[in-house]
Amino acid sequence: MAPKRPQLNSEELAQLKWLLGGLLVLLSAVTVLYMEIDAWTLTAVTAAAVALVIARPTLPARVPSWVHRLAFPAIVIFFAGDLYLTKEVLPPIVRLDILLLLYRGISYRKRRDDLQIIVLGLFLIVVAGVLTVSLAFAAQILAFTACALGFLLVITLTEVPPAGDRTMAAAVAPADGPPAWAVHAHWGRLLRRVREVLDWRVVALGSLLFMGVVAVSALLFLAIPRFQLENSLFLERFMTKKARTGFSDSIKFGDVTDIQQDNSVAVSVDVSDPTRIPAEPYWRMVVLDDYREGSFRISPALRLETFSAERSDAQLRGIARARRGESVYWTFYLEAGVSRYLPLLGTFEMLRFRERQNFRFADRLGLVALRDEPVSMTAYRVEGMTQAGVLPDPGLANRLGLAAEAGAAEMPQLRLQLTEPDRAVLARVVAEIRGGRESGADEFGVKASAWLAARHRYSLQSRVPAGAGDSLVRWLDSREPGHCELFAGALVLLAREAGYPARIVTGFKGGSWNGFSNNFTLRNSDAHAWCEVFDPATASWRRVDPTPGAVAAGAEQTGPAAGQTARVDRSWSARLDSLRVFWYRRIVNFDQRTQEETLKAVKTATQETGRRLRQALERGVARLKAWLASPWDLARAGRWLAVLAALGGVAWLGWRFRPAMWRLFHGRHARREDPVRRKAGRWLARLRGVEADPAVVADLQRLRYGAPAGWPEPAAVWRKARRAARRRANVER
Amino acid sequence: MSDFVQAEQITGAKQTLDRLRANMRQTIKGKDDVIEQVLICVVAGGHLLIEDLPGVGKTTLAYSLARSLDCGFSRIQFTSDLLPSDVTGVAIYDEATKEFAFKPGPVFANVVLADEINRATPKTQSALLEVMDRARVTVDGQAHAVGSPFLVFATQNPVDYEGTFPLPESQMDRFLMRLQMGYPQPGDELEILRSTRTGYDAIRLNAVATREDILRLQALAAQVFVEDSVLDYILKIVAATRTEADFRAGVSVRGGLALRTAAQARALANGRDFVLPDDVAELVAPVLAHRLGLVRQTSDALEERRAIGAILKRILTLIPSPV
Repeated sequence: MAPKRPQLNSEELAQLKWLLGGLLVLLSAVTVLYMEIDAWTLTAVTAAAVALVIARPTLPARVPSWVHRLAFPAIVIFFAGDLYLTKEVLPPIVRLDILLLLYRGISYRKRRDDLQIIVLGLFLIVVAGVLTVSLAFAAQILAFTACALGFLLVITLTEVPPAGDRTMAAAVAPADGPPAWAVHAHWGRLLRRVREVLDWRVVALGSLLFMGVVAVSALLFLAIPRFQLENSLFLERFMTKKARTGFSDSIKFGDVTDIQQDNSVAVSVDVSDPTRIPAEPYWRMVVLDDYREGSFRISPALRLETFSAERSDAQLRGIARARRGESVYWTFYLEAGVSRYLPLLGTFEMLRFRERQNFRFADRLGLVALRDEPVSMTAYRVEGMTQAGVLPDPGLANRLGLAAEAGAAEMPQLRLQLTEPDRAVLARVVAEIRGGRESGADEFGVKASAWLAARHRYSLQSRVPAGAGDSLVRWLDSREPGHCELFAGALVLLAREAGYPARIVTGFKGGSWNGFSNNFTLRNSDAHAWCEVFDPATASWRRVDPTPGAVAAGAEQTGPAAGQTARVDRSWSARLDSLRVFWYRRIVNFDQRTQEETLKAVKTATQETGRRLRQALERGVARLKAWLASPWDLARAGRWLAVLAALGGVAWLGWRFRPAMWRLFHGRHARREDPVRRKAGRWLARLRGVEADPAVVADLQRLRYGAPAGWPEPAAVWRKARRAARRRANVER
Repeated sequence: MSDFVQAEQITGAKQTLDRLRANMRQTIKGKDDVIEQVLICVVAGGHLLIEDLPGVGKTTLAYSLARSLDCGFSRIQFTSDLLPSDVTGVAIYDEATKEFAFKPGPVFANVVLADEINRATPKTQSALLEVMDRARVTVDGQAHAVGSPFLVFATQNPVDYEGTFPLPESQMDRFLMRLQMGYPQPGDELEILRSTRTGYDAIRLNAVATREDILRLQALAAQVFVEDSVLDYILKIVAATRTEADFRAGVSVRGGLALRTAAQARALANGRDFVLPDDVAELVAPVLAHRLGLVRQTSDALEERRAIGAILKRILTLIPSPV
């Protein structure tokens, strides 16, 4: 019954097995790159060696036999020594795993060894997956699954005796020279053969199987109970911390500063109401108030006064009070390695973490700092966030008054530890800015920004002129271009000289709207620094951004136009980012609550669909009943009978002349695509090599290759062919 | 196809061919496959080149065929001093009528046996070009039609034998098929040894097919149906010879047509009015091999022949036959 299809012979199967096994080793060895485990050399050696033996399968035969005898004792000794020296468990296990993979990868394998490769590779991938939970891991496990499925299939095929036995026997004894398949291996030819052998059925079945595995995994993922692992896992130490440029929590002004452009995503923000995103949002992360020796940092006083003691909690109540009736939720996904400070627009009503976190909270500054820089993506949700760019601080107003009375202005926000010439420069500039007129903090900020913008051009490549004194003052007094930190620092100095408390705020500015995943994306290149100047009149900190092209506090607008059209990002990188967001939102961040919600949503949707279907059916039945029950007269019945007869006639004609219709619709290639010819061809293939009645075969051949005018009645031929096939099946049984 | 062949015609054709086959078997022992291909050649109306070592029965084969057909037969023994006019005929001044009269040469027959064709000079060999292609001879600007049907059976020794001139490609292309005889099986040879026959003249065969029979067969073969996918198959094979790096040049359009015609003839010979892909595959070697040459130099002609055969076989395995 089986038609003669091209098939791979046992040699080609062995070659395919070798190729797939090597690929599996390579795929799993790469995972080490994600982990902070010292096995890079080993991985590089493994990858190179395995790639080499894939390219030249005869090489393993050259390895002398004593190597094989000594390999396992050597690996065991290596592992024991490793374990003893490092006094840790996981890294030696990973190294052992890679060593075993290396050995298995470069020697001829028996069936058992092939299965070992899958298990060893799976171990590496799972460990790396648990450690990193990255999107790359998802891609890798998918590739691994596909590869392993193919590998298992080939292993099963090669185990079929007797052709397989010879190959296996050859594979067992590496000392006797390379097996025949290795000598004849030619990958281009093999791939051509594989392409020849693959027909759409195999591909479809394979894809179906693969999708089935993925679907079952997804179902399991949805269904298994959740529990939190991250904070209790000992593995955390081995995760790779990715260093990023962009954000910094202390600013030092050197001679030359080049800010690297890192376009990777730093934060993704989901907003329940996208129209509420300001046109020019400033995401505050750190406040730097202490200027000393040419660098800004958080003063110890501020750190002590404003930051609370460390707490361990899953939620946090802020000082802002949302107005009734509006509750905008902001969900932040902070990428690993960006900062331990959480980006926020201002003060907030409530902040919830996905899981319990150790953090310190400065309510007056509107800042939250985690204890450690998170090593995996951190998610938190904020409700009732203010975004005005104005931060009330009545306490400071009081203390400012007290300090003024005491005459000792030793507040970090006012401190100017500069030499006299530097102070003189500042005083001159402030006088120039004021133009002999006292002004409020806001007005001063605007004027000073304008003054700075008139003298300095914005550029990422900035240069501070050489000379004596404070570098920031030197830059201020020059005409060199500068970046945001220089502009912000200069403005702080000027404001303090003018008598207004001022500080630098760093964080992110702007961002883009991802049109694919509908979320807001902040990239590392969006990192920014600006100032807050204290206005004693309103007892609040006012945001001033002296960098050219910025918007003054209070002048910003919100709205859909601002939030969406201006910055919508539809590039390819946005597509990729949306995939990442999906991965984080729906998979990594999938906790018990989301699980319940999803399951509930699925249940509701199913029930709803069922209900609607039932309703539609009931409506249809009722309509049919009504139609039947309405009075029938001769004319109506006749009309309907005529319609039915016409439909039946059309159907019969279509059936009767279907080859002709087929030809009509398919133009000049019709004959090749003729359904009768195709069916006859299929029957011929099925009956090939069978002691079928020559008359049946002749009829089938006539249908397949003969002129249509001479065709026998196809239906009768099919009947005879079916009978012949059945007889053949009976004989086989 | 409207001119659909009647079943009786097919049966008639098959009977004619069966008679011919049985007749030839009386003298050609154990070479049924060669007989089969010779008959296909006759039905397709093509010319046949039989090539092998001297003395394996080439001429006997040609004789047997000619004797089995009831039509005009002539034999030309090609030698190095043979002239074109010796083949085609010549215009001679007739004293009586005071004008030139054409005296037809030996090609004016229905079956022409060109024995040892490669022993003549290329000039004489070329005299056959027109007559093989157009079935007519032009002498002094006047065309003279030769017989109908017109079949040339040429025999030759392998080209690198002493005193041979290889046939030019254009001449080769005009032969529908080239066959090898090969040595007979021991049993068959024993039977040949037992027979008392000594010369070609001793071949006593009754003619079993008339001229009209052959013409009818040829007309019928032209009507044999070739389905599109089979034509496509032929096209792919021909195209593959053109892209094959080992060949000097691919098969000509005439070669592709020849393959189709031969396949039609084979279908008819097997009692079918439609061509199977198998018909094509079976005929690829005899119909195409002599039209191809290798790029690389081979030690001798037989070696080249074997290499070409192997490449053609590989091409056939690579091209899936239409199912």
